[in-house]
Amino acid sequence: MLAPGGLLLVLVVGVPLVVAGQISLLDLDQYTFRQWLDAPFVGLDNYVEAVRDSALPHAIWVSAAYAFLVTLITLPVGLAAALAAHDRFAGRGLVRSVLLIPYVLPAFVVGTVWRIILQPDGVADSAVGRLGLDAGLWLNGPRSFWALVIVQAWTAWPLLYLLALAGLQTVDPEVHEAAAIDGAGWWVKLRRLIFPYLRGPIALGLVITFLHSVNNFTLPFVLFGVPSPRDVEVLPVLTYVESFQNFQFGLSAAMAVFSLAVVAVPIVAYLRAVRLT
Amino acid sequence: MRHTRLLPRPVQTAVLVVLLLTVLGPVSYMVFASVSSDLDVASGAYLPTTVDLGAYRRIWSTVDLGTGLLNSLLVAGVVAAASAFVSVGSAYVLVRFAFRGRVAILRALLAMQSIPGTLMLLPVFVLFASASAAIGVQVIGTRWALGLTYLTFALPFSTWVMVTYLRGLPPELDEAARIDGASSWRILTRIIIPLSWPGLVVSGIFAFLLGWNDVLFASVMTDPDTRTAAVALQVFGATQEGGAIPVYGQLMAAALVCAAPVVVLYLVFQRYLVGGLTAGGVK
Repeated sequence: MLAPGGLLLVLVVGVPLVVAGQISLLDLDQYTFRQWLDAPFVGLDNYVEAVRDSALPHAIWVSAAYAFLVTLITLPVGLAAALAAHDRFAGRGLVRSVLLIPYVLPAFVVGTVWRIILQPDGVADSAVGRLGLDAGLWLNGPRSFWALVIVQAWTAWPLLYLLALAGLQTVDPEVHEAAAIDGAGWWVKLRRLIFPYLRGPIALGLVITFLHSVNNFTLPFVLFGVPSPRDVEVLPVLTYVESFQNFQFGLSAAMAVFSLAVVAVPIVAYLRAVRLT
Repeated sequence: MRHTRLLPRPVQTAVLVVLLLTVLGPVSYMVFASVSSDLDVASGAYLPTTVDLGAYRRIWSTVDLGTGLLNSLLVAGVVAAASAFVSVGSAYVLVRFAFRGRVAILRALLAMQSIPGTLMLLPVFVLFASASAAIGVQVIGTRWALGLTYLTFALPFSTWVMVTYLRGLPPELDEAARIDGASSWRILTRIIIPLSWPGLVVSGIFAFLLGWNDVLFASVMTDPDTRTAAVALQVFGATQEGGAIPVYGQLMAAALVCAAPVVVLYLVFQRYLVGGLTAGGVK
């Protein structure tokens, strides 16, 4: 019974992974990709080129920095949301559903909407202008990096909220009772009694948020289009452009292998944070 | 028991108000802009000066959204059904039997979900292109090829969701059947699958959304006839650059139409889906 699923997995995941590794060692371009087995073997040339003469190091920096900032923002937001949505109040069910909307919306919809919100003279600029701040370009130039961070954080935080809310359900009712009797302020109670229960779920949420952000191709692709502004040239977009616009499949495969290395550490952390059996 | 509060009432209210404004600001703007004039959107007005529902009529011819939605429905639907049913067998074995390599497989299932999509797309594209050249049949651009590429993510994903679901079923059920002499196959089809409908639905919905939401694979693996709604919208948006005022109303209307089935699915199955989300933290 493991066989059909197992075989299919080997076929659809294992084979492509091996082929990806092989392509990264070939000089494969638009002339040779239809007969990839005949393409010239170039050893580690693609890897050397990726590190020395391509935008890869910059892309790794942009990806890591943006994913880290997004993860950093989602922590207090998601945690505050979970605490606020846990206590009973009228309309709690509805509010909980609404809070999920940014996470539930497809990334291509989020990208399309925010692209219009952030366009020059768009609604974001008029809102910022009303606060007396300078309107400016959001989809190009140095601010585009912050636009990416803000939009990805806007759509990513509910995962942390969900995990923290699930963690709150596991808090022992006696802890609540003890907290009620104890005279300490609400913040001290939270820190001493409640937060220890949330450590696991929050660690999991942070790792997944980081992974999702690093691997997110759709949002930067739709939000900024290609060729993408240099400040938001993240790893997936760079790899995509290198293969499907410049047709440098070998170089691009080497970049993809590098991006696997970037997510390797968070993946290991992820596997440790999840209950496997 | 007295119900104790985590946050004082004013703090709770403040947090909720800020969050709701942050969420509903852009979401409400999406609705307003879809019925606004394009000039209103271009000048940064939040509320429409005139309400015009015409965009919802025009998108069906300008974006060819009908074809896109149908393609998305077909590909994502088949992938969802296939991976849900294939995964229940694998998940059953992984949950109920102890064997060497079991934990390694569970680890691999999770790790596979975090592999960068580009790392999978490249070899799949090259393999399909080579296959086409070898057998003389166009592979890239067909819905089958697209569905097959989605399995690379949907399958590990669905299997993991089913693993977390089957863990919750009491083992006494199949132990009793086994004592009565039932084969593993019979236990799976007569006991496990009938009891796993909620799990199957959740793993199917997640696999469906994976296909519905994808732009990476579909942008490369489709042609104008087999384009999914996601790619149709992305292409439509990209072609609005330059020239006169873009048709913002239609873009927003089309985006809303693409998002509506997803949001409805979530609202209907919210209880089950949230459980699935927090079990593996999958999207």
